[in-house]
Amino acid sequence: MHDGIHVEKAGLPSATICTDRFIPTANAMAKMWGAEDYPTIFTQHPIENLDRPALRERAEGLATEVVAILTSG
Amino acid sequence: MTTNFTDITTTTWDDALSAIEKGYELGWSDGLPVVPPTTARVAEFIGYSGRNLDDVIGELPERRRVITVEKAAANAVMAGCLPEYFPVVLAATEAMLDPVFNLVGPSSSMGGAAVLCIVNGPIREQIGLNSRNNLFGPGNRANGTIGRAIRLILMNACAAIPGLFDRSVIGHPGKYTYCIAEAEGETHWTPLHVDRGFDAGDSTVTVFASEAPRQVRSVGRPEAILYAIADVASSLGTSMSTSGSVGDVSVGIRQGQVAITIAGNSNLWRDWTKQQVREYLHENVRRSVADLKRGLVLRGDVEPGDEAAMVPLVPEPDDILVVFAGGEESNSSSVIPSWGPKVGSTAVTKTVNVP
Repeated sequence: MHDGIHVEKAGLPSATICTDRFIPTANAMAKMWGAEDYPTIFTQHPIENLDRPALRERAEGLATEVVAILTSG
Repeated sequence: MTTNFTDITTTTWDDALSAIEKGYELGWSDGLPVVPPTTARVAEFIGYSGRNLDDVIGELPERRRVITVEKAAANAVMAGCLPEYFPVVLAATEAMLDPVFNLVGPSSSMGGAAVLCIVNGPIREQIGLNSRNNLFGPGNRANGTIGRAIRLILMNACAAIPGLFDRSVIGHPGKYTYCIAEAEGETHWTPLHVDRGFDAGDSTVTVFASEAPRQVRSVGRPEAILYAIADVASSLGTSMSTSGSVGDVSVGIRQGQVAITIAGNSNLWRDWTKQQVREYLHENVRRSVADLKRGLVLRGDVEPGDEAAMVPLVPEPDDILVVFAGGEESNSSSVIPSWGPKVGSTAVTKTVNVP
């Protein structure tokens, strides 16, 4: 969250993906940096146990949303 | 002085119990009762230190937090410290805000670290820190409250709020308080702070983001004790063997630092220097490629040769912090693995400035 917000503040489009167990932490970090509207993508927790094919499938499922955020201007 | 405080909460209470309850209501507690941080008491601590209340000890930029002497003093009061403990709290705070400690990591990570404070030098005896029996507590005010002050500073001044920015999955009891001293006057070994480049007459505190101590009950001969310590420190599941590699990719894992406490009568170790202990452990704290693969630290199937191929878990001998401490009753020891790889957080030693 911290890095995504700062990349965005530096003028580079960013998209940040968090798992949903971290929603309160992500929102608190956004608020801390005055970025309450920062468009975080939340995905189902956990991902650490996913093997590579499963992780790829998860990422592909989020790709459209990532592209939308990066190109939203 | 009190009129210059930047962050005062005005509240009233009728008696001691309601004052304690007010500390809970205001969210200042670690779960235990806090001493009310009255402006007079906080001013007394700051006055003892000889510092200005708005002196900046350090910053936690990721959380937009600037840690001042005032913030540290209020939390030291709440923890139950005496004013003469406050210089140790200040030094420990300065140390954990050093960039190489990377406080945002161990104070937020699911890994559940605590900040172990190891105190060396004359200040130990001046304030009555315990370095012997019941090393990790309970029973000693200086150890108990200095360690607790660090936790309260983390929670109240550094926003390491459990469940919010502190996302420890399990953590350990050292997160309430985790402060020890070295029994440096009772051993031929050089004290930790001298090993780390300070003069013997300096008072210092070393901070180490770490897991809980695992007690090792091997006693009798140095070789047997070290063999057991190495075995414990080589366990799978610690942060001394983390997947991935940063920096030296030839190692294959991310190695970590480790603290070792050794108790008893140091005469048992008369033929050993601390450097020899470190070198032995550096050589023997290791795990086979086969086991690292079984534990999914390394990728791939176990192949011929993997059982015999050993991976050291500690980067250098100096990454083993050897501390002579614990009761005189036994040569028991403890192994304290780092929170994470050394590249994620490195132990830091700072001078305690005694006024």
